[in-house]
Amino acid sequence: MMNRRIFIKKTAAFSAMAAAATMVPGILFAHEQKHDNPASDITWHKAPCRFCGVGCGILVGTQAGRAVAVKGDPNCSVNKGLLCVKGYHQIMCTSASDRLTKPLIKKNGKYVEVTMKEALDLVAAKMQETIKKYGKDSVAMYTSGQSTIPEGYVASKFMKGAIGTNNLECNARLCMASAVAGFLTTFGADEPMGCYEDIEHADVFVLWGNNMAEMHPVLFSRMLDNRLRRKNVKIIDLATRTTRTSKAADISILFKPQGDLAIANAICYELINNNWLDKNFIEKHVVFFKGKTGLGYGLEDKFAFKDEPEAIDFDQYKAFLNDYRPDKVEALTGVPAKEIKYLAALYGDPNLKVVTYWCMGINQHTRGTWANNLIYNIHLLTGKISQPGNGPFSLTGQPSACGTAREVGTFTHKLPKGVVTNKKSRELAAKIWKVPYERIPDKPTYHTTEMFRAIDRGDIRFIWIQSTNPLVSLPRTSRYRPALAKDSCFVVVSDVFPTPTTDVADVILPAAWHIEKSGLYGNSERRTQYWDKMIEPPGEALPDAWMTIEVARRMGFAKLFPYSKEKHHEEIYNEYRQFHAGKKHNMAPLSVLKKQSGAIWPYIEETGRSTLWRYNSRYDPACDTTKDFDFYGKPNGKAVIWLRPYEPAPEMPDNEYPFWLNTGRVIEHWHTGSMTRRIPVLHQAVPHAYVEIHPADAKRLGIKHNQKVKVISRRGQTVLPASVNDRGLPTPGQVFVPFFDENMLINDTTLDAFCPISKEPDFKKCAVRIEKV
Amino acid sequence: MKQRYIIIGFWALLSAASAIIVNTSLVEERSGENFDVIAQPDSNTLPAEEEVFKLADKALELKQLLESGQNVNKELTAYYSRRAYPGAPPVIPHPAGEERSPGGKDCLQCHRHGDYAPAYGAFAPITPHPELISCKQCHVPVTTTGNFVANTWSSTAAPGSGQQALPGSPPVITHGLQMRSNCLACHASSATPAKIRVTHPERVNCRQCHAIKNNEKNVPEIWTR
Repeated sequence: MMNRRIFIKKTAAFSAMAAAATMVPGILFAHEQKHDNPASDITWHKAPCRFCGVGCGILVGTQAGRAVAVKGDPNCSVNKGLLCVKGYHQIMCTSASDRLTKPLIKKNGKYVEVTMKEALDLVAAKMQETIKKYGKDSVAMYTSGQSTIPEGYVASKFMKGAIGTNNLECNARLCMASAVAGFLTTFGADEPMGCYEDIEHADVFVLWGNNMAEMHPVLFSRMLDNRLRRKNVKIIDLATRTTRTSKAADISILFKPQGDLAIANAICYELINNNWLDKNFIEKHVVFFKGKTGLGYGLEDKFAFKDEPEAIDFDQYKAFLNDYRPDKVEALTGVPAKEIKYLAALYGDPNLKVVTYWCMGINQHTRGTWANNLIYNIHLLTGKISQPGNGPFSLTGQPSACGTAREVGTFTHKLPKGVVTNKKSRELAAKIWKVPYERIPDKPTYHTTEMFRAIDRGDIRFIWIQSTNPLVSLPRTSRYRPALAKDSCFVVVSDVFPTPTTDVADVILPAAWHIEKSGLYGNSERRTQYWDKMIEPPGEALPDAWMTIEVARRMGFAKLFPYSKEKHHEEIYNEYRQFHAGKKHNMAPLSVLKKQSGAIWPYIEETGRSTLWRYNSRYDPACDTTKDFDFYGKPNGKAVIWLRPYEPAPEMPDNEYPFWLNTGRVIEHWHTGSMTRRIPVLHQAVPHAYVEIHPADAKRLGIKHNQKVKVISRRGQTVLPASVNDRGLPTPGQVFVPFFDENMLINDTTLDAFCPISKEPDFKKCAVRIEKV
Repeated sequence: MKQRYIIIGFWALLSAASAIIVNTSLVEERSGENFDVIAQPDSNTLPAEEEVFKLADKALELKQLLESGQNVNKELTAYYSRRAYPGAPPVIPHPAGEERSPGGKDCLQCHRHGDYAPAYGAFAPITPHPELISCKQCHVPVTTTGNFVANTWSSTAAPGSGQQALPGSPPVITHGLQMRSNCLACHASSATPAKIRVTHPERVNCRQCHAIKNNEKNVPEIWTR
């Protein structure tokens, strides 16, 4: 029995404990102290990670000329010392036994080892001969969002400045083109306004068509950490499939493929009809436009499209949205009206800071540019943009999709600054490159899909593929693999490992891997990162940039490529920086990038600071200081809200092909798996691809987990083991396949339809049927 | 007498309440708008010592467990065989629970406090970083033993244990401390190999006696924003 004395004692003890407990968060321990590291045998070097667009800082430990360990760079503000399983084990691919170390030339159907000099002589001679016989536009280069900034820059200078053709494309067309087109149409300038620091400020995260737990794991953990530390942080997963992201999110909303267009418009309908708008922001900083509709899908060769923007007013926009009342679109989206209303209420609450993250679900979309525009509409209507914790943020999948593909501009229509159709851009490029202005053609030629179609047709007779594996990553490889294997096109492939693409090459050039060369990457938040060569490349392997320079010199362009072998990456970067001089895109000088773990452009040299939030005059000195926000990409300083309707996908499930096919990735493997499959830890975790089927569909078809099935589309077929109720759970009527596995090429079945504005293919939607093998 | 207790009790409650109010408001102020400055950890410094005390409140339980003899004598070689190199995140050597889960509770129910897992007949190692809940971001299962292509990777030598400056002096810390500065998690769990197990987990201020002998050099220059 408890008597008074014990009661009082307990009360006193409890109150003391309660007081102490609340004080614990404030307890401070002795602070960090400096110390000198005693010498020993592991040396650490800083670099960005080789894999995704997050751009984590890594420290690579080397010992006796070999890379032996990796840890997260605690000095890098991106990842603060944390990495993912791919990042920790990346160096293990360098010891794979089939590493390409010698150039190979195909002679009578067999590969013969030759010297690098011989191989480069042949490449230059073939390229010259092809130009002579078939013209400049018969040769092409296909590069990568994994090319370093110097590699992309010399490729552009070589093709556009030296040879004089716009036949330069890169694989970032397959992943980022819609994001670029979205930024350009809405803001007039590419790349996000915010940065990763938004994560520490936002209250609500909407993950839109992005399995962030597996694709951008370090940022996802940063978000979870933020939710642990602060109250009221909500993560909402908006997707077509239940994933690890959905499991970790507070709310998971599943929608039908292509339903995203209607959902975004329905949210805007709710915002306007509940008057959840930032009227002052809209009045000062926004204009309204509509474009063409019924664009087509680019399924036929030589498809062409040009949008015709037309200014409208707010009332026209409001009237257009009447078709998108949440209950009206339930059938299209599969999302209950109350869930859309809930989402709109979050976006519309002036006291909540909202960040929207998206990646391939929005970009790889036959209306990808529209989907990007529609997300911006939501943030512009509510004025939640360009402020800490508020903003739309397009994530990237490749380490330098931003730095190289988008900023250097390794696309047919791009120059390092501006586009080829713009006279001023051509003049600037000609001046810096020291080439005649007339040499740079003013018309874009082939975007990626059309480039491989041109090879199939015999219009392109020579292609040099660097640092990418299109015969696994292109849509509809069932057409483009035989196309590239044709004798009509001479194929040169530079890579680190043999791939299905090197299998059809006439010349294979061994390339130096990541830390075997020096270079620069640019990540999703506009951060440029530099690294130094840490170990020697094996055999005769060379950096891609140096191989391009060697070939250019052999073709008589030595004067344009006066770089030294040891310092070419630095000389090229210094030349490239001239393109972006000025307040809007100033790149940090090398001396800064060597010292710290990257800098975000526009870099302000006077203060030595990165610009974390663009278009906001509090943070961005490029803004007109008399305004609070200045969208200076557009001549009038105003962002555009686009009227973009719902339009159906080009191929929908029917009786013959009743399933949607969605493709993507898993955390263990990166893109086509040429590196990650050679890393034992990663291969042993996920040794092969599979097809995820909803348990109800599997039951109906009598398919069991791990049983082999055939995925068949109108274009091809692939045999894979079924995965029922395992890592991912597609909605009924949908299947999902990761595309990393070159032994189970799912892209043989995908459709090469693309967004007519961005020309980015849709890898997420086509119709298939499933058969038991 | 009765009144005195009531008054004492009342004051105790009152002081507790005021302490709670002051502290919550302080904490709230810190977590609000003003947390703009994000501290940049500094690789050239000793890791903050607070990590050392993460498991301090469990030290006695850990000691009891260790002394109860209910432990599995795991070898250090098994410990290193799960890591691609010393310091790499270990793989998951058992079926990894629900595939769709990123980790969190599913993993922490055993790995937070190092409980006995009857399904595997073993004690679970304690994670030094239970606050990172997307476990499968770094730790992946092993579903096959084969390779895609042969790989000649070999791990570097593990840091030697038991190095002492003088006979009988406390051994030094020979491994890197990034993400592993919670000493008790790895050195005082029942899953700890005997060779690196601590005999005195109740003395929680480990770095009072065990100094760092770091084997790392040329750490990049310090950068703080």
